[in-house]
Amino acid sequence: MVNMFEKILLPISSEFYPRNAMERCVFLAEKFGSSIKILYIIEEKTLEKAEKVSEVYRTQYEKEETDNSMEQKYLSAADRIIFEDAKKFFDGKDIPFDGKVVKGEFSDVIKDEIERRQYDLILMGFEKGCLLHYRILENSDVPIWIESTAEGRKIILAVCSNLAPNQKVPGISIELSRKLGWELHILYVVDTQDSVEVDEMGHRSGRKSEEELISAGKNFLEEMMKKGIKGSMKKGILERETVKAAKEIGAGLVVVGREHKKTGIVGLSFKTVKKKLVERCNYSILFVN
Amino acid sequence: MREDGGYSFNRWNIFSILISFLAIAVFYIIPPPSGLSHEGWLMIGILVMAIILWITTPIPIAVTGLLIMVMQPLLGVEAAEDVFHSFGNQAVFFLVGVFILAGAIEKHGLHRRMALKFLSMFEKSPRMFTFGIMVSSASLSFIMPAHGVAALLLPIVASILIAMKAIPKQSNFGKVSILAVAYGSSIGSLGTPIGGARNALTIGILANEGIRISFFEWMKYSMPVVFIAIPAVWIILQMVFPIEIENISEAKKEIEEQVGKMGGISRDEIIVSAILLLTVLLWIFFSSPKYMGLAVISLIGSILLFFTGSISWEDVEKRVPWGIILLYGGAITLGVGMSDTGAGAWIADMMLNVAGNNVYMVILSLIMFTVLLTNVMSNVGAVATLLPIGLGVAAGFSGISPLLSSMVVALSGGLAFMFVISTPGNAIAYSSGYFSTRDLMKGGSIVNLSCIAIIFAIAIIYWRGILGI
Repeated sequence: MVNMFEKILLPISSEFYPRNAMERCVFLAEKFGSSIKILYIIEEKTLEKAEKVSEVYRTQYEKEETDNSMEQKYLSAADRIIFEDAKKFFDGKDIPFDGKVVKGEFSDVIKDEIERRQYDLILMGFEKGCLLHYRILENSDVPIWIESTAEGRKIILAVCSNLAPNQKVPGISIELSRKLGWELHILYVVDTQDSVEVDEMGHRSGRKSEEELISAGKNFLEEMMKKGIKGSMKKGILERETVKAAKEIGAGLVVVGREHKKTGIVGLSFKTVKKKLVERCNYSILFVN
Repeated sequence: MREDGGYSFNRWNIFSILISFLAIAVFYIIPPPSGLSHEGWLMIGILVMAIILWITTPIPIAVTGLLIMVMQPLLGVEAAEDVFHSFGNQAVFFLVGVFILAGAIEKHGLHRRMALKFLSMFEKSPRMFTFGIMVSSASLSFIMPAHGVAALLLPIVASILIAMKAIPKQSNFGKVSILAVAYGSSIGSLGTPIGGARNALTIGILANEGIRISFFEWMKYSMPVVFIAIPAVWIILQMVFPIEIENISEAKKEIEEQVGKMGGISRDEIIVSAILLLTVLLWIFFSSPKYMGLAVISLIGSILLFFTGSISWEDVEKRVPWGIILLYGGAITLGVGMSDTGAGAWIADMMLNVAGNNVYMVILSLIMFTVLLTNVMSNVGAVATLLPIGLGVAAGFSGISPLLSSMVVALSGGLAFMFVISTPGNAIAYSSGYFSTRDLMKGGSIVNLSCIAIIFAIAIIYWRGILGI
């Protein structure tokens, strides 16, 4: 797994500038020798909102006039704030980077970039809510790192469970721990809400007893121990136990994989684990599907 | 909204339309309560329909205005002739003239020059600079519609913020500066009949009641509110979002650069300034009913612009939002219909039963109802909804005159500070990205409360106590 994050995409919305994400980008680029692409996204929906509210009060000509002048301001903000900052951050450290400005909706732009598969990591900020649609977090093949403003310790919490194939998370976490020099802790959660086991291919088994799930977890942790990684097991609800453990150890980064949890009265898949994690966990999260 | 600008009929929109028509059907089927005619009852149904459509906006708000006009003869509430007769109110032509004048100001960039001049007078410190933005926005809103002022000042202020490297949503200086544009223009729009269509609407509905007020009289009633609210709101913004920067030199440089780019004043700017000055003077001294009235002066100013070649018909087509005239038409027919059928008086009666015989409580309730409504729907719609009720209150309560209740509703109708959808000025300012909806709610709710207190105090002490209206 040499140069795991060779190309990093740093998308920045015109609605929110996460300077801490830029700093994290520098940190990762230095460690992994990455090149960085900054994508400044002019949020069309903001302009559309203004247009809709003022539709009767202003003519099409006037609305276009304002839109154009606001677009110019966004471009100027990208040049004079974002890219100038980036130069300060990256040039001094000799990190190759370039920038691009696009107009659109944040999630749509990221989705397109994921489909192009040109990047090894997408790194973004977080402000009160995630700018990305949670469905993209579920389906992205490119790892997505959501950088939090909260300061954590130099500890990586890798989350595995009976609901995930647990293939990518350990490998990526070990590599990250090695490169960053951070301590690694593996958490295995036996989810009591959805008592099935997910195999390496992502297939769900039939219902299993708690003992069976605990035993599988123990086996997994023993395997990890053989690799010199310490871990612990928790029984409960996956998202709740993850947030609790991250808080207890003050994790600087929580690594989460693709889980196949189904909840609800009729077993419908609500896919809310990642959403809950992003909203409730104060620490930076790396999603690897 | 669809990509081509049309309205998409998603489930929510269809649901809103169905609910609005269901409301009418309910009022049609259920017999009216005692003391209210069937026409009055149906008029309240039309009002409920309009409120639902204005809040949920499944169709453009101007089309709701048309629907109000159509529903009245369809349901037999008012004859078509009477409905369209109220549309011919002189305030409609006052508005047309105002938009043409504003179009000429915008075309030649006169407003930009004035804004930069104002701003350059407040370059002493970051705090004073934000005060300058509020004063500039408010002053320009005396002579042109508030949303036009917001659209003008936003790019100017945004470019200054960019030059100062104020980070969107993180810089409190950025938040205060942009909110000062939105709030300053809203507060300034109360000052003269030009600032907002709701002012013209109030003048129009009052004229229907036989009460005619001139430009100067309007200013006499409203200016104290503006003069008190501007510094009060500025102080609130400083307290809610403490400014983090100390140095204003980049702003100075940016303003100088922008002034430099504008060059010397052009011949057209001088002509438009002269016509504007003449029109304002005529409004102040000759707009009372015994002279020319507001509309005639407004149209004289507009025609002079054509005579001098300062504006062309193409410019008028580009810059006059005819939709607002339709919205205004619907709003005024709603107000007249509510008054004529006694629906406004009936609702006022209900309100008085709740508020009791306390004049202070009645005035405070009127202000609060209007502020609540204007924050969630078009402020013209809010004023149109509550003016007939205000007039009904005046009819049923000896301590409140029709003029007092109308001014209370008209000025409170401009206090839309809390949501992006509350007013075009807020929405335009929001597009800068410098504040979040949460910031707007946080600052706007405190600003709203303080402005409610200001209007209440002015109504009791100045209008009722000193002027005796």
